[in-house]
Order: sequence, then C-alpha cells, then structure tokens
Amino acid sequence: MQGKRTMNGLAVRWLRAAALAAVAACGAWTALAEENSPPPRTDGALLPRDSTDAAVFRGGLVYANYCVTCHGINADGNGRAARLHNPRPANLRASDKNDAYIGLIVRRGGEALGRAPGMPPWGEELTDEQINDVTAFVRSVNGQHR
Amino acid sequence: MKPIRMLAIAALVAATPWTLAAEHTVAQKDKAFSTKTLDIKAGDKVAFRNDDAFSHNIFSLTDAMPFDLGTYGGGQMKAVTFAKAGKFEIECAIHPEMRMVINVAP
Repeated sequence: MQGKRTMNGLAVRWLRAAALAAVAACGAWTALAEENSPPPRTDGALLPRDSTDAAVFRGGLVYANYCVTCHGINADGNGRAARLHNPRPANLRASDKNDAYIGLIVRRGGEALGRAPGMPPWGEELTDEQINDVTAFVRSVNGQHR
Repeated sequence: MKPIRMLAIAALVAATPWTLAAEHTVAQKDKAFSTKTLDIKAGDKVAFRNDDAFSHNIFSLTDAMPFDLGTYGGGQMKAVTFAKAGKFEIECAIHPEMRMVINVAP
C-alpha cells in the first residue's frame, strides 16, 4: 500500500510539472506571436477599396437601404413587405445563382428575366458599383462568398 | 313633366354629390410625393402619377388594406380605391425616403 501511494504521488508530481511546462510554453508562444504581429491600426485606416471585404461592407449598406423591406434583415425573404408579394421575395441565403445572374436580376428586375415581377429593376436607381457591391453582399450571406 | 317626377329628380340630383366618390391625384417628382398628407373619404380613388423619368413602386402595408402597385415608369399612373377608413402609410419600394400618409374618413 505504501509503495502504491508513493507511485501515485510521483505520477501526480509528473503530471503537475508537465502541465506547468505546457502553460509556460503556451504563454511564451502567445507572447512571441503578439510580438511578431503588427499592432492594431488606430489611425482609422479603411479596407482597400477594391477588396471583397470592402465590397461586402458597402453592399450591406445598399442592401439595408433598398432590399431589406422585402428580403428582410436576415436576407431570408421575410421582410416586412414580403406579404404583399406572390411569389414571395427570394431567400437570398439559399440562392444558388452566380454573381453575373444576381447582378442581372438586381439590374433588370424579376419580370425581365421571367421571374417574380415584384422584384423592381434597380438599374436606373443604383450605380454599377452599388450593384456589384450588393451582389458581393448577397454572395456573402449565402455562404458562397469567395 | 309631373311635379312628383320633377321632385324625385331634384332629390336625386341633390343627393348625388354625397354619393359620388372623389378622385385625387398624387404626383411623384424628384423622389418625393407632391404632398405629405392627403385627407379623403372612404370610396375615394387616389391616382399615383409618376412625373419622374425613372420608376417608382408605390405600396402600403396598412393592415386595413395592404396593396402594392408594382413598378411603373415615368409618365405612367396607377390608382387605388380606398374602400376602408383608416390611416394609410404610403411608401415607395425603390426610394425608401418617399413616404406620405393618406387619412381616409368613413
């Protein structure tokens, strides 16, 4: 019984030492990573204008202003005006359309493409950049963001 | 013409202004309605005329009578008859800043 208690005590000390070593190594690695990573920007720097992230951000603003009434805040087709439309507004989270087609629907509206006539043509209201941006936003919410 | 028939016709004519529904026109120009509020009576018709060069899409989500006129271009006009009394908030689906209220009296 005495020998067993001694072995258990030894095992506990080994485990404790190993845990301490792991914690120390982790702390050292974190400190090293922080030292090598660039400091957070505090000068109000913007995303590069041509980046996808910037397009998605801008597209979100376009979406919130023009699309949310019908397609909803969650882009699931359940906006407050959705009940006026039959067929109902598309669930954009489940859209399988590519960028070109999404942009075409936005620009020309649903009726011109033989789809839901409730989707207005936005080509005369939105700029090309806004249409591209909102297309990027739609792609980002349906999980096909590239 | 017999006096009684003349009397009946006169009564009908006198009652006519109270039974005919009125027609109103609200223009859309420079992404704004021509008026912020409009007071009408139940049964009146309101025509929404697009005086802009681009499309508008007038709709209302008021529970008493939700409607959507769809998208229509410049120079076109679409009308709605407000059969029920109530306060109707009118919006444009393409230009969210466009809003007006139509008060429909019984």
